[in-house]
Amino acid sequence: MSLTLCSEALSGCSGCEMSLLNAGGSSLSLLDRFDILHMPILMDHKYFDSSGGTQEIDIPKAGLGLISGGVRNEQQLRIAEKMRRQCDTIVAFGTCAAYGGIPAMMNLFEDEDLFRRYYRTAEGTDAAPNPLQVIPPFLERTFALDEKIAVDFILPGCPPHPDVITSALESILEGKSPQLSLLSVCDSCPAKREGKGSAQRIRRFVKNARYQPDKPISEMRCLLDQGLLCMGPVTLAGCAGMNGGPPRCIEARVPCRGCHGPVRKGGNQILDILNGLVSNGIDTKNLPDRLSLLRFSGAHGRIKRRSAPKAD
Amino acid sequence: MPDIYPGFEPRILAFTCNWCSYAAADLAGTARVQYPASLRIIRVMCSVMVHPSLVIEAFERGADGVLVMGCHPGECYYQDGNQKAKARSVAIEEVLAIMGIEPERYRLVWCSSAEAEGFACLVRETDEALRVIGPSKYRKDASKYSKSELIQCL
Amino acid sequence: MRQTVAESASVSAREITIEPVTRIEGHARIGLRLDESGNVVEARVHIMSMRGFEKFIEGRAAEEVPGIVTRICGICPWQHHLASNKAVDGCFGSEVPPAGRLLRELTQVLAHISDKVLHFFFLAGPDFFVDSHQCAAGNIMKIAAQAPELAKRVIEMRYRGQMMLEKFAGRSIHPDAIVPGGFSKPMSRPEREQLHADALDQLDFARFALDFAKERVFSRFDAGLMQLGEINTGFLGMVNPEDGGLELSDGILRLMRPDGTFHEFLGREYTDFIGEHVEPWSYAKFPYARAWGEGFSMLLDDPRGIYRTNCLARINVADFIRTPLAQAELLEFRSLFGRPAQSTMLYHWARLIELLYACEKVVELLDNPAITDQHVRNDVVPKAGRGVGCVEAPRGTLIHDYSTDENGFITRANLIVGTTHNLAPINMSVNRVARDLIKNGEVTGEALNRIEMAVRAYDP
Repeated sequence: MSLTLCSEALSGCSGCEMSLLNAGGSSLSLLDRFDILHMPILMDHKYFDSSGGTQEIDIPKAGLGLISGGVRNEQQLRIAEKMRRQCDTIVAFGTCAAYGGIPAMMNLFEDEDLFRRYYRTAEGTDAAPNPLQVIPPFLERTFALDEKIAVDFILPGCPPHPDVITSALESILEGKSPQLSLLSVCDSCPAKREGKGSAQRIRRFVKNARYQPDKPISEMRCLLDQGLLCMGPVTLAGCAGMNGGPPRCIEARVPCRGCHGPVRKGGNQILDILNGLVSNGIDTKNLPDRLSLLRFSGAHGRIKRRSAPKAD
Repeated sequence: MPDIYPGFEPRILAFTCNWCSYAAADLAGTARVQYPASLRIIRVMCSVMVHPSLVIEAFERGADGVLVMGCHPGECYYQDGNQKAKARSVAIEEVLAIMGIEPERYRLVWCSSAEAEGFACLVRETDEALRVIGPSKYRKDASKYSKSELIQCL
Repeated sequence: MRQTVAESASVSAREITIEPVTRIEGHARIGLRLDESGNVVEARVHIMSMRGFEKFIEGRAAEEVPGIVTRICGICPWQHHLASNKAVDGCFGSEVPPAGRLLRELTQVLAHISDKVLHFFFLAGPDFFVDSHQCAAGNIMKIAAQAPELAKRVIEMRYRGQMMLEKFAGRSIHPDAIVPGGFSKPMSRPEREQLHADALDQLDFARFALDFAKERVFSRFDAGLMQLGEINTGFLGMVNPEDGGLELSDGILRLMRPDGTFHEFLGREYTDFIGEHVEPWSYAKFPYARAWGEGFSMLLDDPRGIYRTNCLARINVADFIRTPLAQAELLEFRSLFGRPAQSTMLYHWARLIELLYACEKVVELLDNPAITDQHVRNDVVPKAGRGVGCVEAPRGTLIHDYSTDENGFITRANLIVGTTHNLAPINMSVNRVARDLIKNGEVTGEALNRIEMAVRAYDP
């Protein structure tokens, strides 16, 4: 069964598209089952013809619209709206589209602070006024896709695992809804948990975790138990793919930072992790930079502006 | 004392634990102790049951103030539920600060089953404090209420 | 399906917009303005978006930043990851143990491989492999249809490269295994053996790719292609401080003038040599060679301060390449094109020479027994400081410049990403192609695609 496909990338980094290609041979056979009408990273369909008009962005009608990246500027908003009008099903592809992602950290600051820094005070830059010609103006902040258009499915992950992507696309090809996990990252993590309360405080990750290098992760003490801040408990599972492997950051012996977003839609990662920590008797006062706990889910109004950035 | 925000009636949500604070509220009712009618009560078995996200959601939906009311320390029906609720308050306060919600809007307080007057007093205090700071900016009709001109001139 | 294939407007259009520029990473619009006679008077490449990383990493704990800035780019995250870690090491004054250094270089160079395979075969390649009359409709799917064995092998090789990173370091896209003070986990001997076997396969593929390209693509570079977007510029790249050999990971920066003379400088001195210019029609800035004292200009007949980065630049500035196969290719390349070579299309050739170097280098690193040493990270202590981390990303010299306060939080940051150095040259190349191929109001699909080919050569 074949489906027409349009794909766009808004305020993201192409990592989701690269993850799709990371499915290896399956990527090509999967892409083959779609009739790809618009996908700027791989093929040449354009918004405008060469006659000069740039009012209406041309995106063809399609059965499936994949959109990665959040909505940051007016052009991205127009593209998202056009995709919604033209595509029967819209998938928010990746954490940026689903929850804002890393670029939504900019919601902490005023845009003018960014422009002042980038165009006037950055080291080595010849100071100049903000560019204003041709380029699309910013919206008031970075938005997740569903804050601006109706989204049929989200596929979180930064990036989502290739197997999860292919499985989701296959479901859609069969007319079914993609199934995401309902559990947290801890569910797929084999690290040893020995009951709660052994860590009293969180330490910064300036020293490696404790583990035996020649032993598997199942012999390693849970990183949160070791006093490292691991967002596993408050993050949606899926980073390990579909074959029961361990979470990928844990494989590198590095604590999770929550890149799949909250366990449930509408979940608040900072609230959930602070709640989890304090409920286990962990002193959160020396947690450095709490706002980083929302680094993947700063849209939906979660990260708000402060007038001046504090080192907190 | 004139109203600082004329017309503004604070909407307060109180999560009250079944064994102590809800009983106090009940007693206040039967004893005809007056407390502001703007209070809405949700009964829970223990203050620890109130997940921080419920408090946050209450604010996101436009509550002007939220009270979580449990038993006095040492008197929790479930031993240490109220202590855990206290620990959780840390998480709530952090997130409220990020949301730009004034700290006066959320309180974790203790109240025993006999303290009908105490219950009413806690609610009245909260109500008065909210009348001074005005409606929550998350409240859908917040723009209807503005500081009275008299107060602005002071 | 709207494409720019075979569209010819005999009436002179006032403005032509090519958007999106396809088969690149990022969002760009090319705007051409024609005068009444239908000749190009202005050609601009507008970078249409910005996210603000250098601002929002302010206030972050510095050791967290390398896991954030990977999201600048999903194609080259390892480059940002390493440069950022080096900058944080500079701020904290951390020393990296030898095995940590080896693992860092290994992963960063390994990441170059998948990136180059992606670019040559998936992004730029379609312009060369599909039938020329369909030049504007090329893409990897069409290659797969016309040359399935080739497509399968290419995809498999790219996949293997990514899996080498993933199996060892957990993630290939948006890694977190490089950490301030070293690396997060050591390499075991079985891991090393497996990677070594994979690396030899990659090397085989790199040799195949270069032979294939020389036979099927570069041999067909006619005068038109060789002069496509031709400009005369300087070059910037990293070299070994002792002998001037090509370096991707650790070295000093060499800024070469069009005449071949050069300055050398340490990463932390970059502001003395590189300035950045702002234009009102692009979010991204335009780096230029401040050190030449001639200011900045993108005018085709009066370029000032213009230099290029990325693989052609790197093989121009390097005196030689330390690995034998790539060095042999470099000598052949130089015998044909001289040094520095200026033709923009030669980026593709240089890219495959670098691919070969990267594959040889990975084997060499894996041959080093010290790479399995278990001490891979020194503890670091957050403190106030300043650090500048430089690496050669596939797209060019990458600079991460941070300062921290006494608690080790970022107080300010400046980033120059690889592609940015090439924005002025890209504008100039586009200008050149547009003026050469669009005259008297004749706008063909082929001309428009050639303009994009000039952009794609830079792998922006």
